[in-house]
Amino acid sequence: MKCESCNKKHATVHLTEIVGTVKKERHLCEDCAQGINKQLAKIPSPTEILTSLINQVAPEINEMSKIVCPVCGLSYLEFRSHGRLGCPMDYTIFRKGLIPLLEKMHGSTQHVGKVPSRAGKELIKKNELMQLRNELNKAVEKEDYEKAAELRDRIYELSGDTDED
Amino acid sequence: MNFQATPMKISDLADNTGEWLRGTGAESDIVISSRIRLARNVARFPFLSRANVKQKRELEEIVSNKIKEAEITSDLRYINLADIDPLDRLFLVERHLISREHAGGEGERGVAFGKSETISLMVNEEDHLRIQVIRSGFELKEAWNTIDEVDNKLEKKLNYAYSSRFGYLTACPTNVGTGMRASVMMHLPALGMTHHIEKVFNAVMKLGLVVRGLYGEGTQVSGDLYQISNQFTLGKSEVEIVEIIEGVIPRITSYERMARKALISESREQLEDRIWRSYGMLKVARIISSEEIMHLLSQVRMGVNLGIINDIEMKTLNELFILTLPGHLQKLEGRELTSQQRNIIRAAYVRKRLEMI
Repeated sequence: MKCESCNKKHATVHLTEIVGTVKKERHLCEDCAQGINKQLAKIPSPTEILTSLINQVAPEINEMSKIVCPVCGLSYLEFRSHGRLGCPMDYTIFRKGLIPLLEKMHGSTQHVGKVPSRAGKELIKKNELMQLRNELNKAVEKEDYEKAAELRDRIYELSGDTDED
Repeated sequence: MNFQATPMKISDLADNTGEWLRGTGAESDIVISSRIRLARNVARFPFLSRANVKQKRELEEIVSNKIKEAEITSDLRYINLADIDPLDRLFLVERHLISREHAGGEGERGVAFGKSETISLMVNEEDHLRIQVIRSGFELKEAWNTIDEVDNKLEKKLNYAYSSRFGYLTACPTNVGTGMRASVMMHLPALGMTHHIEKVFNAVMKLGLVVRGLYGEGTQVSGDLYQISNQFTLGKSEVEIVEIIEGVIPRITSYERMARKALISESREQLEDRIWRSYGMLKVARIISSEEIMHLLSQVRMGVNLGIINDIEMKTLNELFILTLPGHLQKLEGRELTSQQRNIIRAAYVRKRLEMI
Protein backbone atom coordinates (compact mmCIF):
# COMPACT_ATOMS: atom_id res chain seq x y z
CA MET A 1 0.00 0.00 0.00
CA LYS A 2 1.29 3.46 -0.95
CA CYS A 3 1.27 6.39 1.49
CA GLU A 4 -1.91 8.47 1.05
CA SER A 5 -0.12 11.69 1.69
CA CYS A 6 2.92 11.62 -0.62
CA ASN A 7 1.79 8.72 -2.74
CA LYS A 8 5.46 7.70 -3.14
CA LYS A 9 6.68 5.61 -0.23
CA HIS A 10 5.26 2.46 1.24
CA ALA A 11 2.68 3.08 3.98
CA THR A 12 3.91 1.61 7.26
CA VAL A 13 1.90 3.71 9.75
CA HIS A 14 -1.83 3.05 10.06
CA LEU A 15 -3.88 5.66 11.97
CA THR A 16 -7.51 5.51 13.00
CA GLU A 17 -9.10 8.91 13.41
CA ILE A 18 -12.52 9.27 14.97
CA VAL A 19 -14.31 12.56 14.49
CA GLY A 20 -17.76 12.51 16.07
CA THR A 21 -19.24 9.20 14.90
CA VAL A 22 -17.22 9.03 11.70
CA LYS A 23 -14.30 6.65 11.73
CA LYS A 24 -11.52 7.37 9.27
CA GLU A 25 -8.46 5.25 8.58
CA ARG A 26 -5.23 6.75 7.30
CA HIS A 27 -2.25 4.93 5.89
CA LEU A 28 1.00 6.86 5.82
CA CYS A 29 4.71 6.44 5.31
CA GLU A 30 7.18 7.05 8.14
CA ASP A 31 8.10 10.59 7.05
CA CYS A 32 4.55 11.84 6.54
CA ALA A 33 3.44 10.32 9.85
CA GLN A 34 6.22 12.27 11.61
CA GLY A 35 4.91 15.48 10.08
CA ILE A 36 1.44 14.81 11.52
CA ASN A 37 2.97 14.04 14.91
CA LYS A 38 4.62 17.47 14.92
CA GLN A 39 1.26 19.12 14.23
CA LEU A 40 -0.38 17.17 17.04
CA ALA A 41 2.32 18.35 19.43
CA LYS A 42 1.16 21.91 18.89
CA ILE A 43 -2.25 21.11 20.45
CA PRO A 44 -2.05 22.05 24.18
CA SER A 45 -2.06 19.17 26.63
CA PRO A 46 -4.86 18.86 29.25
CA THR A 47 -2.48 20.22 31.91
CA GLU A 48 -1.74 23.26 29.77
CA ILE A 49 -5.44 23.87 29.17
CA LEU A 50 -6.10 23.59 32.90
CA THR A 51 -3.30 26.00 33.77
CA SER A 52 -4.58 28.58 31.34
CA LEU A 53 -8.11 28.17 32.74
CA ILE A 54 -6.87 28.64 36.31
CA ASN A 55 -4.98 31.70 35.13
CA GLN A 56 -8.19 33.15 33.79
CA VAL A 57 -10.35 32.35 36.81
CA ALA A 58 -7.97 32.76 39.74
CA PRO A 59 -4.60 34.06 38.54
CA GLU A 60 -3.15 34.03 42.04
CA ILE A 61 -3.34 30.22 42.26
CA ASN A 62 -0.70 29.64 39.60
CA GLU A 63 1.58 32.22 41.07
CA MET A 64 1.03 30.95 44.60
CA SER A 65 0.95 27.23 43.76
CA LYS A 66 4.57 26.61 44.71
CA ILE A 67 4.32 28.28 48.12
CA VAL A 68 4.38 26.00 51.15
CA CYS A 69 4.10 27.23 54.73
CA PRO A 70 7.40 26.49 56.52
CA VAL A 71 5.58 26.25 59.86
CA CYS A 72 2.73 23.81 59.21
CA GLY A 73 3.73 22.38 55.82
CA LEU A 74 0.45 23.30 54.10
CA SER A 75 0.71 24.26 50.43
CA TYR A 76 -1.40 26.99 48.91
CA LEU A 77 -2.96 24.43 46.54
CA GLU A 78 -3.99 22.21 49.46
CA PHE A 79 -5.58 25.23 51.10
CA ARG A 80 -7.52 26.08 47.94
CA SER A 81 -8.80 22.52 47.56
CA HIS A 82 -9.90 22.10 51.21
CA GLY A 83 -10.63 25.70 52.19
CA ARG A 84 -8.94 25.34 55.58
CA LEU A 85 -5.70 26.95 56.66
CA GLY A 86 -3.08 25.02 58.64
CA CYS A 87 -1.76 27.53 61.13
CA PRO A 88 -1.98 31.24 62.04
CA MET A 89 1.24 31.87 60.06
CA ASP A 90 -0.57 30.94 56.81
CA TYR A 91 -2.26 34.32 56.89
CA THR A 92 1.18 35.87 56.41
CA ILE A 93 2.64 33.24 54.07
CA PHE A 94 -0.41 33.12 51.75
CA ARG A 95 -1.24 36.79 52.18
CA LYS A 96 -1.08 37.61 48.48
CA GLY A 97 -3.55 34.87 47.57
CA LEU A 98 -5.76 35.45 50.60
CA ILE A 99 -6.38 39.16 50.12
CA PRO A 100 -8.53 38.83 46.97
CA LEU A 101 -10.34 35.88 48.56
CA LEU A 102 -11.13 37.82 51.73
CA GLU A 103 -12.28 40.77 49.64
CA LYS A 104 -14.72 38.45 47.84
CA MET A 105 -15.95 36.77 51.05
CA HIS A 106 -16.23 39.75 53.35
CA GLY A 107 -16.06 42.80 51.10
CA SER A 108 -13.08 43.93 53.17
CA THR A 109 -9.58 42.88 54.16
CA GLN A 110 -9.10 44.96 57.29
CA HIS A 111 -10.22 43.97 60.79
CA VAL A 112 -11.95 46.79 62.65
CA GLY A 113 -13.45 44.84 65.54
CA LYS A 114 -12.28 43.78 68.95
CA VAL A 115 -8.59 43.93 69.89
CA PRO A 116 -7.22 41.63 72.60
CA SER A 117 -5.90 43.78 75.44
CA ARG A 118 -2.49 42.16 75.17
CA ALA A 119 -2.22 43.41 71.59
CA GLY A 120 -1.69 46.80 73.17
CA LYS A 121 -3.38 50.13 73.55
CA GLU A 122 -1.77 51.55 70.43
CA LEU A 123 -3.47 48.97 68.29
CA ILE A 124 -6.82 49.66 69.92
CA LYS A 125 -6.37 53.35 69.13
CA LYS A 126 -5.32 52.59 65.58
CA ASN A 127 -8.39 50.45 64.97
CA GLU A 128 -10.72 52.98 66.54
CA LEU A 129 -9.26 55.68 64.30
CA MET A 130 -9.69 53.48 61.27
CA GLN A 131 -13.31 52.87 62.12
CA LEU A 132 -13.96 56.56 62.71
CA ARG A 133 -12.44 57.34 59.32
CA ASN A 134 -14.70 54.77 57.70
CA GLU A 135 -17.71 56.37 59.35
CA LEU A 136 -16.49 59.78 58.26
CA ASN A 137 -16.31 58.64 54.64
CA LYS A 138 -19.83 57.24 54.89
CA ALA A 139 -21.14 60.46 56.43
CA VAL A 140 -19.54 62.51 53.65
CA GLU A 141 -21.04 60.21 51.03
CA LYS A 142 -24.46 60.67 52.58
CA GLU A 143 -23.81 64.43 52.79
CA ASP A 144 -24.44 64.30 56.52
CA TYR A 145 -21.99 67.13 57.26
CA GLU A 146 -23.06 67.61 60.84
CA LYS A 147 -22.10 64.02 61.66
CA ALA A 148 -18.95 64.35 59.55
CA ALA A 149 -17.81 67.38 61.56
CA GLU A 150 -18.45 65.53 64.78
CA LEU A 151 -16.48 62.51 63.57
CA ARG A 152 -13.65 64.74 62.37
CA ASP A 153 -13.38 66.29 65.83
CA ARG A 154 -13.26 62.87 67.45
CA ILE A 155 -10.53 61.78 65.03
CA TYR A 156 -8.48 64.91 65.87
CA GLU A 157 -8.98 64.30 69.54
CA LEU A 158 -7.93 60.69 69.37
CA SER A 159 -4.98 61.13 67.02
CA GLY A 160 -3.80 64.27 68.81
CA ASP A 161 -2.75 65.58 65.45
CA THR A 162 -4.81 68.33 63.87
CA ASP A 163 -3.01 68.07 60.56
CA GLU A 164 -4.21 64.60 59.90
CA ASP A 165 -6.46 63.91 56.92
CA MET B 1 -11.65 27.43 90.89
CA ASN B 2 -12.49 23.99 89.58
CA PHE B 3 -15.28 22.56 87.55
CA GLN B 4 -18.18 21.01 89.46
CA ALA B 5 -16.79 18.03 91.33
CA THR B 6 -19.64 15.61 90.70
CA PRO B 7 -19.43 14.13 87.22
CA MET B 8 -22.40 15.15 85.18
CA LYS B 9 -24.74 12.50 83.89
CA ILE B 10 -26.07 13.48 80.52
CA SER B 11 -29.31 11.64 81.19
CA ASP B 12 -29.97 14.07 84.08
CA LEU B 13 -30.51 16.76 81.46
CA ALA B 14 -32.92 14.81 79.29
CA ASP B 15 -36.21 15.86 80.88
CA ASN B 16 -35.65 19.62 80.79
CA THR B 17 -34.01 22.17 78.53
CA GLY B 18 -31.75 25.20 78.65
CA GLU B 19 -32.90 28.64 79.69
CA TRP B 20 -32.99 29.91 76.13
CA LEU B 21 -36.19 27.94 75.45
CA ARG B 22 -38.15 29.69 78.20
CA GLY B 23 -40.07 31.69 75.62
CA THR B 24 -39.31 34.98 77.34
CA GLY B 25 -37.53 38.09 76.10
CA ALA B 26 -38.40 40.65 73.46
CA GLU B 27 -40.54 39.53 70.50
CA SER B 28 -40.51 35.99 71.86
CA ASP B 29 -43.71 35.09 70.00
CA ILE B 30 -41.65 35.12 66.80
CA VAL B 31 -38.00 35.24 67.88
CA ILE B 32 -37.17 32.02 69.71
CA SER B 33 -33.56 32.75 70.55
CA SER B 34 -30.52 34.94 69.91
CA ARG B 35 -27.14 33.30 69.63
CA ILE B 36 -23.56 34.51 69.19
CA ARG B 37 -20.42 32.48 68.80
CA LEU B 38 -16.79 33.56 68.69
CA ALA B 39 -14.02 31.53 67.07
CA ARG B 40 -10.64 31.72 68.78
CA ASN B 41 -7.30 29.96 68.34
CA VAL B 42 -4.25 29.69 70.54
CA ALA B 43 -1.12 31.38 69.16
CA ARG B 44 1.89 29.23 68.19
CA PHE B 45 -0.20 26.10 67.61
CA PRO B 46 -1.31 24.75 64.23
CA PHE B 47 -5.03 24.80 63.46
CA LEU B 48 -6.70 21.46 64.14
CA SER B 49 -6.59 20.10 60.58
CA ARG B 50 -2.76 20.24 60.74
CA ALA B 51 -2.35 19.32 64.41
CA ASN B 52 -1.09 15.85 65.32
CA VAL B 53 -2.54 13.68 68.10
CA LYS B 54 -0.05 15.02 70.65
CA GLN B 55 -0.73 18.65 69.77
CA LYS B 56 -4.48 18.07 69.91
CA ARG B 57 -4.16 16.54 73.35
CA GLU B 58 -1.95 19.40 74.49
CA LEU B 59 -4.41 21.98 73.16
CA GLU B 60 -7.37 20.26 74.80
CA GLU B 61 -5.52 20.29 78.12
CA ILE B 62 -4.41 23.93 77.87
CA VAL B 63 -7.73 25.33 76.70
CA SER B 64 -9.91 23.32 79.13
CA ASN B 65 -7.62 24.29 82.04
CA LYS B 66 -7.71 27.97 81.10
CA ILE B 67 -11.50 27.81 80.90
CA LYS B 68 -11.47 26.54 84.49
CA GLU B 69 -9.08 29.26 85.63
CA ALA B 70 -11.02 32.03 83.90
CA GLU B 71 -13.90 31.70 86.42
CA ILE B 72 -16.60 32.22 83.85
CA THR B 73 -19.50 30.92 85.94
CA SER B 74 -19.41 28.94 89.17
CA ASP B 75 -21.37 25.98 87.82
CA LEU B 76 -19.38 25.27 84.66
CA ARG B 77 -18.92 21.58 83.87
CA TYR B 78 -16.60 20.04 81.31
CA ILE B 79 -17.26 16.93 79.26
CA ASN B 80 -14.59 15.22 77.19
CA LEU B 81 -16.43 14.26 74.02
CA ALA B 82 -14.02 11.43 73.23
CA ASP B 83 -15.16 9.73 76.47
CA ILE B 84 -18.89 9.69 75.79
CA ASP B 85 -20.86 7.61 73.29
CA PRO B 86 -22.32 8.90 70.01
CA LEU B 87 -25.86 9.03 71.42
CA ASP B 88 -24.74 11.43 74.18
CA ARG B 89 -23.03 13.57 71.59
CA LEU B 90 -26.18 13.65 69.47
CA PHE B 91 -28.07 14.73 72.57
CA LEU B 92 -25.67 17.66 73.10
CA VAL B 93 -26.04 18.67 69.43
CA GLU B 94 -29.83 18.72 69.78
CA ARG B 95 -29.49 21.03 72.77
CA HIS B 96 -27.25 23.35 70.70
CA LEU B 97 -24.39 22.86 73.18
CA ILE B 98 -22.05 21.46 70.54
CA SER B 99 -22.11 21.53 66.74
CA ARG B 100 -22.69 18.52 64.51
CA GLU B 101 -19.09 18.81 63.31
CA HIS B 102 -17.85 18.79 66.90
CA ALA B 103 -19.93 15.68 67.69
CA GLY B 104 -18.68 13.84 64.62
CA GLY B 105 -15.07 14.97 65.02
CA GLU B 106 -12.05 12.92 66.04
CA GLY B 107 -9.57 12.94 68.87
CA GLU B 108 -9.39 14.95 72.06
CA ARG B 109 -12.16 17.51 72.24
CA GLY B 110 -14.70 18.70 74.75
CA VAL B 111 -17.34 21.14 75.87
CA ALA B 112 -17.94 23.20 79.02
CA PHE B 113 -21.34 24.59 79.93
CA GLY B 114 -23.26 25.78 82.97
CA LYS B 115 -26.59 24.71 84.39
CA SER B 116 -28.60 27.31 82.50
CA GLU B 117 -26.91 26.17 79.23
CA THR B 118 -26.63 29.82 78.23
CA ILE B 119 -22.86 29.70 77.78
CA SER B 120 -21.05 26.88 76.07
CA LEU B 121 -17.34 26.58 75.31
CA MET B 122 -16.31 24.09 72.65
CA VAL B 123 -12.70 22.94 72.75
CA ASN B 124 -11.05 21.62 69.57
CA GLU B 125 -14.00 22.13 67.27
CA GLU B 126 -12.98 23.57 63.87
CA ASP B 127 -11.04 26.15 65.88
CA HIS B 128 -9.26 25.58 69.19
CA LEU B 129 -12.02 27.37 71.06
CA ARG B 130 -15.53 28.35 70.17
CA ILE B 131 -17.46 30.38 72.71
CA GLN B 132 -21.23 30.45 72.41
CA VAL B 133 -23.97 32.38 74.19
CA ILE B 134 -27.69 31.70 73.59
CA ARG B 135 -30.50 33.77 75.06
CA SER B 136 -34.25 33.45 74.87
CA GLY B 137 -36.05 35.96 72.62
CA PHE B 138 -34.62 38.85 70.64
CA GLU B 139 -31.66 39.71 72.86
CA LEU B 140 -28.69 39.84 70.54
CA LYS B 141 -27.08 42.86 72.17
CA GLU B 142 -27.33 41.26 75.62
CA ALA B 143 -25.84 38.07 74.14
CA TRP B 144 -22.95 40.16 72.77
CA ASN B 145 -22.34 41.80 76.16
CA THR B 146 -22.21 38.40 77.86
CA ILE B 147 -19.93 36.78 75.29
CA ASP B 148 -17.63 39.84 75.20
CA GLU B 149 -17.17 39.52 78.95
CA VAL B 150 -16.48 35.76 78.75
CA ASP B 151 -13.99 36.40 75.95
CA ASN B 152 -12.23 39.09 78.02
CA LYS B 153 -11.82 36.69 80.91
CA LEU B 154 -10.38 33.99 78.65
CA GLU B 155 -8.14 36.40 76.82
CA LYS B 156 -6.32 37.13 80.08
CA LYS B 157 -5.42 33.44 80.31
CA LEU B 158 -4.94 32.46 76.67
CA ASN B 159 -2.70 34.02 74.07
CA TYR B 160 -5.01 34.21 71.07
CA ALA B 161 -3.76 34.06 67.47
CA TYR B 162 -4.39 37.61 66.31
CA SER B 163 -3.14 40.06 63.70
CA SER B 164 -3.92 43.76 63.49
CA ARG B 165 -4.72 43.40 59.80
CA PHE B 166 -6.89 40.25 59.84
CA GLY B 167 -8.11 40.22 63.45
CA TYR B 168 -8.69 36.87 65.17
CA LEU B 169 -7.09 34.22 62.98
CA THR B 170 -9.30 31.22 62.27
CA ALA B 171 -8.89 27.87 60.51
CA CYS B 172 -11.36 28.90 57.83
CA PRO B 173 -10.94 32.35 56.27
CA THR B 174 -14.74 32.75 56.23
CA ASN B 175 -14.57 33.33 60.01
CA VAL B 176 -11.48 35.54 60.22
CA GLY B 177 -11.65 39.04 61.73
CA THR B 178 -14.20 39.13 64.50
CA GLY B 179 -14.58 35.35 64.42
CA MET B 180 -18.18 36.12 65.18
CA ARG B 181 -21.36 34.52 63.95
CA ALA B 182 -24.50 36.14 65.35
CA SER B 183 -27.80 34.47 64.62
CA VAL B 184 -31.44 34.87 65.51
CA MET B 185 -33.81 31.92 65.38
CA MET B 186 -37.24 32.89 64.13
CA HIS B 187 -40.57 31.11 63.85
CA LEU B 188 -42.20 32.23 60.59
CA PRO B 189 -45.18 29.96 59.83
CA ALA B 190 -47.46 32.57 58.25
CA LEU B 191 -44.78 33.79 55.83
CA GLY B 192 -44.31 30.16 54.81
CA MET B 193 -48.05 29.54 54.38
CA THR B 194 -48.55 32.70 52.32
CA HIS B 195 -45.42 31.99 50.21
CA HIS B 196 -43.78 35.30 51.12
CA ILE B 197 -40.77 33.70 52.77
CA GLU B 198 -38.68 33.88 49.57
CA LYS B 199 -39.03 37.65 49.52
CA VAL B 200 -37.71 37.83 53.05
CA PHE B 201 -34.72 35.69 52.11
CA ASN B 202 -33.89 37.89 49.15
CA ALA B 203 -34.07 41.07 51.25
CA VAL B 204 -31.93 39.48 53.97
CA MET B 205 -29.32 38.26 51.50
CA LYS B 206 -28.89 41.73 50.06
CA LEU B 207 -27.66 42.81 53.50
CA GLY B 208 -24.98 40.13 53.43
CA LEU B 209 -26.92 37.93 55.84
CA VAL B 210 -27.82 34.27 55.35
CA VAL B 211 -30.82 32.14 56.25
CA ARG B 212 -30.31 28.63 57.56
CA GLY B 213 -32.33 25.83 59.17
CA LEU B 214 -32.61 24.90 62.84
CA TYR B 215 -29.14 23.38 63.20
CA GLY B 216 -27.16 25.88 61.15
CA GLU B 217 -25.12 25.40 58.03
CA GLY B 218 -26.45 22.86 55.57
CA THR B 219 -29.48 21.91 57.63
CA GLN B 220 -33.01 21.80 56.30
CA VAL B 221 -35.70 24.12 57.45
CA SER B 222 -38.31 22.35 59.55
CA GLY B 223 -41.06 23.55 61.84
CA ASP B 224 -40.92 26.95 60.07
CA LEU B 225 -37.81 27.74 62.13
CA TYR B 226 -35.18 29.87 60.44
CA GLN B 227 -31.82 31.19 61.56
CA ILE B 228 -30.76 34.58 60.24
CA SER B 229 -27.04 35.19 60.61
CA ASN B 230 -24.12 37.24 59.30
CA GLN B 231 -21.89 35.85 56.58
CA PHE B 232 -19.10 38.44 56.71
CA THR B 233 -16.85 38.53 59.75
CA LEU B 234 -14.15 40.94 58.54
CA GLY B 235 -14.36 44.70 57.97
CA LYS B 236 -17.17 45.34 60.43
CA SER B 237 -16.95 45.52 64.20
CA GLU B 238 -18.86 43.09 66.43
CA VAL B 239 -21.29 45.82 67.44
CA GLU B 240 -21.87 46.80 63.80
CA ILE B 241 -22.66 43.19 62.90
CA VAL B 242 -25.10 42.94 65.81
CA GLU B 243 -26.71 46.21 64.70
CA ILE B 244 -27.14 45.06 61.10
CA ILE B 245 -28.98 41.92 62.24
CA GLU B 246 -30.90 43.84 64.90
CA GLY B 247 -32.02 46.26 62.20
CA VAL B 248 -33.51 43.60 59.97
CA ILE B 249 -35.29 41.41 62.56
CA PRO B 250 -38.12 43.87 63.45
CA ARG B 251 -38.90 44.14 59.74
CA ILE B 252 -39.24 40.38 59.46
CA THR B 253 -41.33 40.09 62.64
CA SER B 254 -43.72 42.79 61.47
CA TYR B 255 -43.93 41.10 58.07
CA GLU B 256 -44.80 37.80 59.78
CA ARG B 257 -47.43 39.56 61.91
CA MET B 258 -48.95 41.12 58.80
CA ALA B 259 -49.10 37.71 57.11
CA ARG B 260 -50.83 36.27 60.21
CA LYS B 261 -53.37 39.10 60.21
CA ALA B 262 -54.05 38.58 56.52
CA LEU B 263 -54.62 34.85 57.12
CA ILE B 264 -57.10 35.63 59.91
CA SER B 265 -59.07 38.21 57.99
CA GLU B 266 -59.17 36.24 54.74
CA SER B 267 -59.63 32.68 55.94
CA ARG B 268 -60.15 32.58 59.68
CA GLU B 269 -62.09 29.30 59.71
CA GLN B 270 -59.51 27.47 57.61
CA LEU B 271 -56.65 28.77 59.77
CA GLU B 272 -58.39 27.86 63.02
CA ASP B 273 -59.25 24.46 61.63
CA ARG B 274 -55.63 23.81 60.70
CA ILE B 275 -54.38 24.85 64.11
CA TRP B 276 -56.99 22.86 66.08
CA ARG B 277 -56.42 19.78 63.93
CA SER B 278 -52.68 19.99 64.65
CA TYR B 279 -53.38 20.37 68.37
CA GLY B 280 -55.74 17.40 68.23
CA MET B 281 -53.15 15.26 66.49
CA LEU B 282 -50.57 16.02 69.18
CA LYS B 283 -53.07 15.00 71.86
CA VAL B 284 -54.33 11.77 70.31
CA ALA B 285 -51.89 10.44 67.70
CA ARG B 286 -50.10 7.14 68.44
CA ILE B 287 -47.26 7.46 65.92
CA ILE B 288 -45.57 10.76 65.06
CA SER B 289 -42.45 11.12 62.91
CA SER B 290 -39.81 13.76 63.71
CA GLU B 291 -40.75 15.67 60.58
CA GLU B 292 -44.47 15.64 61.39
CA ILE B 293 -44.00 16.81 64.94
CA MET B 294 -42.10 19.89 63.84
CA HIS B 295 -44.98 20.81 61.57
CA LEU B 296 -47.65 20.16 64.24
CA LEU B 297 -45.76 22.08 66.93
CA SER B 298 -45.24 24.97 64.54
CA GLN B 299 -48.98 25.21 63.84
CA VAL B 300 -49.91 25.00 67.52
CA ARG B 301 -47.26 27.55 68.44
CA MET B 302 -48.81 30.01 66.01
CA GLY B 303 -52.23 29.16 67.45
CA VAL B 304 -51.03 30.08 70.94
CA ASN B 305 -49.51 33.33 69.67
CA LEU B 306 -52.76 34.27 67.96
CA GLY B 307 -54.79 33.53 71.09
CA ILE B 308 -56.66 30.72 69.35
CA ILE B 309 -55.26 28.15 71.80
CA ASN B 310 -54.74 29.29 75.37
CA ASP B 311 -54.35 26.24 77.56
CA ILE B 312 -50.69 25.55 76.80
CA GLU B 313 -47.58 27.47 77.81
CA MET B 314 -45.12 28.80 75.26
CA LYS B 315 -42.25 27.30 77.26
CA THR B 316 -43.76 23.82 76.96
CA LEU B 317 -44.15 24.17 73.22
CA ASN B 318 -40.64 25.54 72.72
CA GLU B 319 -39.24 22.68 74.79
CA LEU B 320 -41.16 20.05 72.84
CA PHE B 321 -39.31 21.09 69.67
CA ILE B 322 -36.12 19.85 71.37
CA LEU B 323 -37.34 17.15 73.76
CA THR B 324 -38.97 15.13 70.97
CA LEU B 325 -35.80 14.93 68.87
CA PRO B 326 -34.29 11.44 68.35
CA GLY B 327 -31.36 11.86 70.77
CA HIS B 328 -33.57 13.20 73.54
CA LEU B 329 -36.16 10.44 73.24
CA GLN B 330 -33.44 7.80 73.38
CA LYS B 331 -31.82 9.39 76.44
CA LEU B 332 -35.20 9.63 78.09
CA GLU B 333 -35.86 5.95 77.46
CA GLY B 334 -32.30 5.07 78.41
CA ARG B 335 -31.72 2.90 75.35
CA GLU B 336 -31.21 2.97 71.62
CA LEU B 337 -34.42 2.99 69.60
CA THR B 338 -35.26 2.36 65.97
CA SER B 339 -36.98 5.11 64.06
CA GLN B 340 -40.32 3.26 64.29
CA GLN B 341 -39.95 2.82 68.07
CA ARG B 342 -39.08 6.49 68.41
CA ASN B 343 -42.21 7.55 66.52
CA ILE B 344 -44.38 5.61 68.99
CA ILE B 345 -42.53 6.90 72.07
CA ARG B 346 -42.57 10.43 70.68
CA ALA B 347 -46.37 10.38 70.36
CA ALA B 348 -46.74 8.96 73.89
CA TYR B 349 -44.35 11.55 75.34
CA VAL B 350 -46.21 14.46 73.75
CA ARG B 351 -49.57 13.15 74.96
CA LYS B 352 -48.19 12.93 78.47
CA ARG B 353 -46.70 16.45 78.37
CA LEU B 354 -49.91 18.00 77.06
CA GLU B 355 -52.07 16.29 79.67
CA MET B 356 -49.98 17.71 82.48
CA ILE B 357 -51.10 21.23 81.80
